[in-house]
Amino acid sequence: MEQIISPIALYLICGLGAIGVALALPRRGHSGTKIPLHIVGGLVLAMAFGFAALVLGLKATDAGNPLPNYFFYPFAAIGIGASVRMITHKRPVYSALYFILTIIASCGMYLLLSAEFMAFALVIIYAGAILITYLFVIMLATQAPVGDNDDDLNDVDAVAREPMLASAIGFVLVALITVSMFRGIGDLPHSQISSAQAADGVLAVLPKKIDKILDRAGLLEDGWLVSRDSETGHAIIDVDAQTVQIQLVDGVDSHGHEIVLATRTIGPDQWPEELAAQNLDRLGYNLLNDHPMMIEVAGIILLMAMLGATVLARKHIELEDALKAAQARKLGTMLDTDESNSVRGQA
Amino acid sequence: MNHLNHLVQAMDSVQLAQMSFPAELPQTVLAPYLFVSAAMFAIGLIGFLTRKNMIIMFLCTELMFQAAGLALIAFGRHHLQADGQTFVIFVLCVAAAEAAMALALVVLLFRHRESLSASAWKELNG
Repeated sequence: MEQIISPIALYLICGLGAIGVALALPRRGHSGTKIPLHIVGGLVLAMAFGFAALVLGLKATDAGNPLPNYFFYPFAAIGIGASVRMITHKRPVYSALYFILTIIASCGMYLLLSAEFMAFALVIIYAGAILITYLFVIMLATQAPVGDNDDDLNDVDAVAREPMLASAIGFVLVALITVSMFRGIGDLPHSQISSAQAADGVLAVLPKKIDKILDRAGLLEDGWLVSRDSETGHAIIDVDAQTVQIQLVDGVDSHGHEIVLATRTIGPDQWPEELAAQNLDRLGYNLLNDHPMMIEVAGIILLMAMLGATVLARKHIELEDALKAAQARKLGTMLDTDESNSVRGQA
Repeated sequence: MNHLNHLVQAMDSVQLAQMSFPAELPQTVLAPYLFVSAAMFAIGLIGFLTRKNMIIMFLCTELMFQAAGLALIAFGRHHLQADGQTFVIFVLCVAAAEAAMALALVVLLFRHRESLSASAWKELNG
């Protein structure tokens, strides 16, 4: 069984990572030293990242296996660097902004994994909505205002709790996960579906999309449409052989069946290049066909969260008796306009 | 100058997507993505354990969600299935719900103690 990376190298990388994060976590003092500790920590982390990239790359090229795309390395470096800066920065607003950077770097990796829809959804939902909520709460719940000097910061933000122990725990965890993962990754079952099926398996259930593409390619005359299976409504298409059947339809008979005047098959020589299911088609079909109940569950979770947040954050206003009486009078005037006129006259 | 030309040519030939889509993702390409995902998860965990500010602690849970999402998408790509991406939609949904609840809780707790420190609520230990 071939391993992607030797466990010794992996333990070394995790050790370096743990030391780097522990050094970079916020602490008081050390203003006398020439190089701040968090910069040393950052350098150690960069070393760990470079070493990991080198080892993974060497192993892959040894066996003549393909490497990740060039764009992967900057995205991974930005993602990990920004997430480290997020947990080590002393000011919460900057932490939130570094988290946005992490999100955008992972969006880049999603794009490399050809999950375009999820990448854009992530930018809109996370960077656009969730992080703005975080920023609002950070600004709502600020403690005593502080100046530009980090020494003025409250202990809550300026001092980490047990940095050494936590980093050790975290990187022991990551070492165990990755060692077992890389040991088993060679035994991963190959995909159950062929590449052609993955690209076009959804196509048969989207007859209208096929109609549109064939029409754009100029293959359909007036009245011609893709043949549908009379029971399932699926298009009659063979993606592997690149044949699609089309028919001329003239209305519907008394039993609700289509009256087919003629059928014809479009072969591989005429097959339009864009006749393939997009990633988005597959995602939408998977979501609505295989997991329809999950949408309801998601809706209920979001509704409950909205209600819960409203109830939790509601402010109980303690009014004095005089204010309460004034409020009651005001409410009364809204119900009875005559009274309100008389009140205004008295005022 | 020659080297620069070579580099530009190499960059031109690089496709944006990792392998053109229907091709299967080899294991040596999958492994670095999983490594990044594991590292991000560990960093989120360390942040959750060490930081005292409750807002940062919840931000770290979001980072862990993010790492899980990356692993899901990478595995989904490896198996040529859309289920990984579908699941990330629900991870996003749960993350949004969690953010709303957690931030409401943080505001509530802050009003009681005028402090964001998790140790301000020490007496809650079981």
